Amino acid sequence: MIKIKYHVAPFLLSLMPFVSDVAMADNKLSSWSLKGFGTLAATGTDTNKIGFYRDKSQTQDADSGWGITNDSQLGVQIDWKADESLQATVQWIARDHAGNFFEQNLDWAFLRWSIQNDVDIRLGRLGVGVFSLSDYRNISYAYPWIRPPHEFYSTIPYYHIDGADITKKFSIDDGYLSIKLYGGYSYNQLPTQSSGVNNQQSPATGANISYEKGAWQARLGYTYATITSNPPIQDLLTPINSPLFTQYWPDIKQLIPAMTMRGKEYHFGSIGLAYDDGIWLSQMEAAYIASNTLWSPPRSSAYLSIGRRISTVTLYSLLGIAKTFQNDVNVPNPLVPNPTLLAYQRQFSRTLNNNGINEQSVSLGTRWDFYNNMALKAQWSHYWLGAHNGSQQWQQSVSNTTPNTVNVMSVGIDFVF
Amino acid sequence: MSCLWVLILYFNAMKIFTALLLFFVAASESHAEIVVIGNVKNNIQSLNSAQVEDIFMGRTRSLPNGHFVLPVCQSTLRPEFYQKLTTKPIEQINAYWAMLAFRGQISQPIEYPDDNSVLSVINENRDAIGYIDSRHINNSVRVLLRLN
Repeated sequence: MIKIKYHVAPFLLSLMPFVSDVAMADNKLSSWSLKGFGTLAATGTDTNKIGFYRDKSQTQDADSGWGITNDSQLGVQIDWKADESLQATVQWIARDHAGNFFEQNLDWAFLRWSIQNDVDIRLGRLGVGVFSLSDYRNISYAYPWIRPPHEFYSTIPYYHIDGADITKKFSIDDGYLSIKLYGGYSYNQLPTQSSGVNNQQSPATGANISYEKGAWQARLGYTYATITSNPPIQDLLTPINSPLFTQYWPDIKQLIPAMTMRGKEYHFGSIGLAYDDGIWLSQMEAAYIASNTLWSPPRSSAYLSIGRRISTVTLYSLLGIAKTFQNDVNVPNPLVPNPTLLAYQRQFSRTLNNNGINEQSVSLGTRWDFYNNMALKAQWSHYWLGAHNGSQQWQQSVSNTTPNTVNVMSVGIDFVF
Repeated sequence: MSCLWVLILYFNAMKIFTALLLFFVAASESHAEIVVIGNVKNNIQSLNSAQVEDIFMGRTRSLPNGHFVLPVCQSTLRPEFYQKLTTKPIEQINAYWAMLAFRGQISQPIEYPDDNSVLSVINENRDAIGYIDSRHINNSVRVLLRLN
């Protein structure tokens, strides 16, 4: 890692007057450090009938023409340590993300106070920690797979939250119990099925408890979020509110409350268990996401991965499953069977009932730590897409029906510096 | 009878040969002993390997006396230090620290290029903990743990 150090840099203290009060007599190091991480990976599939996304924050999908935007990224982090209890961190990642390239890719920008040895408070922009891997999904070097399990992680394309968190650690029975509470305001720009960006705003709050002992780690997490913005559904609302519809299809207005997002709620509950003894590694998580919005119906998802290390090579397998639970939205009939109105009815039904997830996969892969701070990875994933699997995690083709199976292949190099 | 003597001689010779072989193998494989050191002004007299592991794996920010700890690494000894402490190879340690550092939890111990620079950091900082080759210990620091 490249580290730039200044031993009690006087100019630093003059620039930052608020730290001059901090007693620095015991440990004389204040320091800057610049470090980073990245992945250069190529991803492709065996079909052009559907496009693969790492998650739905991305604008480019992968199909049988291979691409590098799915799993490639480059991140830079600057840490400034004022003293042992105050630190500032900024992390920015170049990656394919809808919306503002600078702002949406700023995942961390916070001040951290360690007010006691085992209590941390962070204030600013923070990574979203809904599930185990949520706040280091981009640090591919830190996990065995080419990307976090698709069924589990592609469903939450939110990376950051502006707010605060507090973590308290307890030493219990040779292990560590960690409790974290967080809350804040999340602003995420997500791509839409049509052109344009969905500026989604949602206050969120949550807690997680994790216990680490020896090779084992267990985690329980819960997050609650409300949506305070509406998706760009003007292309649906404009015809619904037109005089033609009002006169010949009044019942269609019953759908408007279901189509809005403002005021809708999410509950994310998850449980996770991981084992790593240096040779064998295993990880599983299961989640249930309750929601009352038809654009993102309630769902459960889970994955299980087992791997074995042989010297610097890791061989792993990964099973994943995700399924939504929602009855089809019934679009009422127009008063007269006008062809234009019937065409709209088919379109509404298609759009409103295209948000399900019904996906299972098996993956086999390998990671080879071939050089200091670098790893080469290759992964093959076979996806089964069931009935009602919609556009939440995939790019559907207008002219093709969704295939039942898709093979996704990836090779990449991860590095940290 | 002479046949028996030959056999006894043969076995004795083999024993000596094996002993010599083991000695040289052991000698060639014996790395420098690594010692974990701290500042003499600190009231910590020693640490056990679990306490050192908690500090260098980022599980705790503090010494047993409650002070914030300042862990520092010695670059060339780092793979051997972590292997002895955790039995894990350095690739796994690097991946683990990437996870901690890039999720903004705790900073990775700063690395220094050699034993002398580690010694001077330990001298200047009351709550610093580092490790060096045991041959370079001097009176300015206190040995807290020996890793064999």
